[in-house]
Amino acid sequence: METVIPKIIRRTSPYLRRPKANVTRMMRDVTIALLPVTIFAIYKFGMAAVMIISVSILSMMAAEYIYYQIVDKLDDEKFKWKNKSFTLYNFSTITSGLIYALILPDATPWFVVMIGAVFGVVFGKLIFGGLGQNIFNPAALGRVFVLVSFGTLMVFDVDTVAGATPLGVINDDIFNLALLSDFSIMNLFTGMAIPGSIGEMSVILILIGGVYLALRTSFEVRIPIAYIGTVALLAGAVAIYKGISYEYVLFHVFSGGLIFGAIFMATDPITSPLTIPGRIYFGFALGFLTFIIRIFGAYPEGVMFAILIMNMFVSSFDYYKWTNSKITKRQKIIFSIVVLLSIAVTLVGVSYV
Amino acid sequence: MIKKSKKVKDYKLLTKALPTLRYLDPHSVFIHLQNSRCKTYDVSVKEGDRVLFGEQIGVRHGGFFEQPVHATVSGTVGKITKKLHRTGRKVDVIEIKNDFLDTPHESVYDRPDAIIEKMTQADMVEIVKEKSLVGLGGSGFPTYIKLGTKEKINTIVINAVECEPYLSSDYRLILEHPEEVITGLKYIMQALNVDHALIAIKSMKNPLYEVLTQVLEVRFPELNIQVVKLGNYYPQGWEVEMFEQALGIRVPPGELPTKYGIIGFNVSTTVGVFDAIKHNLPVTKRHFTITGDAVKFPQNIFVRVGTSVKELIDVCDGFLDVEEDIVIVMGGPMMGTSVTTSDVVVSKTTTSVIILKDIQYKEEQCVRCGSCVYSCPTHLQPVQIMNAVKRNDKDVMKGLNANECIECGLCAYVCTSKIHVTDYVRKAKKLIG
Repeated sequence: METVIPKIIRRTSPYLRRPKANVTRMMRDVTIALLPVTIFAIYKFGMAAVMIISVSILSMMAAEYIYYQIVDKLDDEKFKWKNKSFTLYNFSTITSGLIYALILPDATPWFVVMIGAVFGVVFGKLIFGGLGQNIFNPAALGRVFVLVSFGTLMVFDVDTVAGATPLGVINDDIFNLALLSDFSIMNLFTGMAIPGSIGEMSVILILIGGVYLALRTSFEVRIPIAYIGTVALLAGAVAIYKGISYEYVLFHVFSGGLIFGAIFMATDPITSPLTIPGRIYFGFALGFLTFIIRIFGAYPEGVMFAILIMNMFVSSFDYYKWTNSKITKRQKIIFSIVVLLSIAVTLVGVSYV
Repeated sequence: MIKKSKKVKDYKLLTKALPTLRYLDPHSVFIHLQNSRCKTYDVSVKEGDRVLFGEQIGVRHGGFFEQPVHATVSGTVGKITKKLHRTGRKVDVIEIKNDFLDTPHESVYDRPDAIIEKMTQADMVEIVKEKSLVGLGGSGFPTYIKLGTKEKINTIVINAVECEPYLSSDYRLILEHPEEVITGLKYIMQALNVDHALIAIKSMKNPLYEVLTQVLEVRFPELNIQVVKLGNYYPQGWEVEMFEQALGIRVPPGELPTKYGIIGFNVSTTVGVFDAIKHNLPVTKRHFTITGDAVKFPQNIFVRVGTSVKELIDVCDGFLDVEEDIVIVMGGPMMGTSVTTSDVVVSKTTTSVIILKDIQYKEEQCVRCGSCVYSCPTHLQPVQIMNAVKRNDKDVMKGLNANECIECGLCAYVCTSKIHVTDYVRKAKKLIG
């Protein structure tokens, strides 16, 4: 008896794949983690938040769709309504759009939102070849673009202290904690009665999102820990040096979108290094830059700038001559020296302010 | 999902609990005259000759060693044809038509224990060499070279981890013949003059632990052999990983474990040593698994070396669905070779055939999640090697030590974007030679 043999396909090993692992799941998790913050933003700012979020997401999606249709046209491909490269299907554009919206001030006019969104997605992502190829975080790029181009329009509408954020208040006199008497640490933590970008205020809700992502292993938890830890460390050193209260540390950690940026933007895997040590050093560098910009820079806030600057250096973290997936003894020594140096640099700088 | 992930879904429940069937009387067997290490051969019999079970019928020539070829049934010699080997290449095979008498050759006899006890390392190496025993876990490396090592060995580690998913032939072998495993190990200990040995199993395989410790306590109380339970992850069965977990010694890439006083043998090889020394028998039969999600009744089968896999698939009642495309894998599903026909032959070193439904995985863009970097057992950076291959940058491939890759397949398994990373690393290894 001759048995019928099905068609035999030749493949290469391995023949199995991890079940339930895919890009869509990862991106969707980020969107879900952002939901508490989004709902809080809508609760607090009402239609203004709805407007910013919807304009941001829609214009990013539209920009990407039109971009890919043009690219296909240039490649002489037949026009199809459903575009093959369009990444709406795996949530990545929605995630970028949502993050971008949540880091905008609540009174941002709709055309500014749109311009930033289109700029961010086209020059932050599409121009490099789309998802997986981008060097810059599209949301951070869009945010910084509108900040430097439309700075006067980016006002905060909640009038606790005439629309100034905690970091804005303290920017001129950086060690005068008395100026911050209007912002209690508790309010910073819960996000009540604090002006700021629509999604960055409630630390507790952002942390809930972070815990969700950590449980789903959809992001690298070492980056935000290293990032926030570095800011706390430097702020602590400054507080001890200047002899001011420990509240200075909490104030730096809880304000200015540091935790939001650390959890949702610095951890974007596409724009962060590949190895575990690389990711820790990346988080440290972000923390150092953020703190330096905050206390020495002209702008009160440094998270977005730090993320964009460090995005450029990701490829040098991954340079093959020194990249290593384990932390070696030599790396430990060099890293400790760098940490000590950074504290020294900060303190020397502070003594001149 | 960004995480270090070494757990691989193991699917062993398909066959783990099934007793081993015996399929020892095929109409003909096909004996390989070439394999991955031996390219040329001489045959000392001709078509029509009658050969006996265990008789030497030829010799394979390798680079620095020779391997006698033995008949695995008694019967008449047929033609020399070409058939696929485990490695996916076509090689010459010689057919022996079974006469179902199983008449043993005069060289096959039971050696009395009294003689074995007096044997030296050289004696045992000679026997193992004559019986052309090789690493039966899949390496195919001649065992006599390992057994004849001049280095001082402190510990022997028997590899019974079987970390690849689906496979259960070693599991059944230990469960059904624990004495043979331990006696084989006893001979190896005698040859290498070592008084300490470990048998490494996965911690989830508790039945093996129980059966081995019981046999050790009751039958071999004088031997200093421990059964160690290692982690349940993949690739725990890779020698370097196994030594590290069992003994805490990490053998650097490119160095032999014997330098560190350790030597590893696969559990099937140990039984091969037992057969060679006790019964003066080459490897003629072996434990074999046919499993996968596209075969009707997965089975553990005890087969003659040289049996056609086609017949064994019939023993398993054929394919589940003849309409669906399948992949036939010789060896494990993580490292095995895909073959294009079911007309392959069970060689000494084949542990299993896995028949899987063909799944076309949809690759997405790499999102640099780093799971492959986190999971790589050799601490390489597969994604960076992949990018280097894409831009054909050989300096980077060398700088990232692509040649240290053991092709365990974990990087492609864990990939969030379902990219076949292992293939790229393999390409890199080929490019930098």
